[in-house]
Amino acid sequence: MDRFDLATLAPEARDRLKSDVLALADSKLVLANWYTTCVHNGRSLPDFAAILGMATATFGHTRGLYLYLVNFGIPYTDLERRRDATAINSMNLLDKPPESWEDFVASVYLAEQAMWTFASGFLSHPDRALSGLVQKIGQESYFHLKYCEGWRGIFAGTENAELGQAVARRLPQAAAWFGDNGQNDILYDAGLRALPAAKLREAFLNEVSSGLQASQIDAKLPDPAPPAADWTIERRRAGNIPDRLFGIVQLKDPAAAYN
Amino acid sequence: MIKPKKINRAELGGNSTKFYEVFARIDSNDVLAHVGSIEAPNDELAQVRAWYVYDQQRWREMCVVPTDAVISVTDKGARGKIKEA
Repeated sequence: MDRFDLATLAPEARDRLKSDVLALADSKLVLANWYTTCVHNGRSLPDFAAILGMATATFGHTRGLYLYLVNFGIPYTDLERRRDATAINSMNLLDKPPESWEDFVASVYLAEQAMWTFASGFLSHPDRALSGLVQKIGQESYFHLKYCEGWRGIFAGTENAELGQAVARRLPQAAAWFGDNGQNDILYDAGLRALPAAKLREAFLNEVSSGLQASQIDAKLPDPAPPAADWTIERRRAGNIPDRLFGIVQLKDPAAAYN
Repeated sequence: MIKPKKINRAELGGNSTKFYEVFARIDSNDVLAHVGSIEAPNDELAQVRAWYVYDQQRWREMCVVPTDAVISVTDKGARGKIKEA
């Protein structure tokens, strides 16, 4: 089997692979911080353990993806510590903090499902370092999605409609992360992604719809809309992450901390 | 004084919290052994909580069984007495 070499890729494909992996890694960074920040809202000690376990795994995914990005010539310390808010490319879905437990469950479910659907496009990537990493992410995401399924089950059949409303409210931003349906996918065309991003977006929406149905959550899902006008495919987001969120996710530079 | 927000039953995990027994093995030569128990409102959360609470090993296999489904062969108690007719 030929060894995969990033240097042989066309510059556009190489840049898109880098930006897509970074968008996934940064979204994982923010999600992990959601978990650590919200852990004390967990509903019991075993729930704390589950949320912290998911935080640990998600930080691990971030670290693994950052390490992969070193292959593109980006120093690891720059990725981890030396970027400001304008360079953090996490999904818009996670910009706004949860307003309630139902909103937390809805947001985490959409984020986990979107990230796993997106990452699964790299399961057969020719670079075994990336496909192996994604396989590991998939094994761990299974439990994260199972956690969301368990919580959906708790709200199913109750009069509480807030979970369904929160999913409907947050869904457009989650779907927008996959990009505009009409856009060509350079990575798919180059054989670096198993399905075009538009197909992954469709698969994501189908998964959410059937997941809600299976959990008997009544939600009026909005029609898919194109991303916001200032959304860019290079960052897979619109605008910069809010300052307050940056203050939470920012990894402090130990040298700067002592100055 | 800040009044705590009233949390409803569903947020706490429903009305029907159950106990599950957790079994696991490290590899296929190992026996499936009881490693503990876990409280959860449904089967899905029981699996997740068991996986994260009993994470002291890299388990090859883990199962959860509702404690209600366990049929006691012996009498309950310190001596594990054989049941009498």
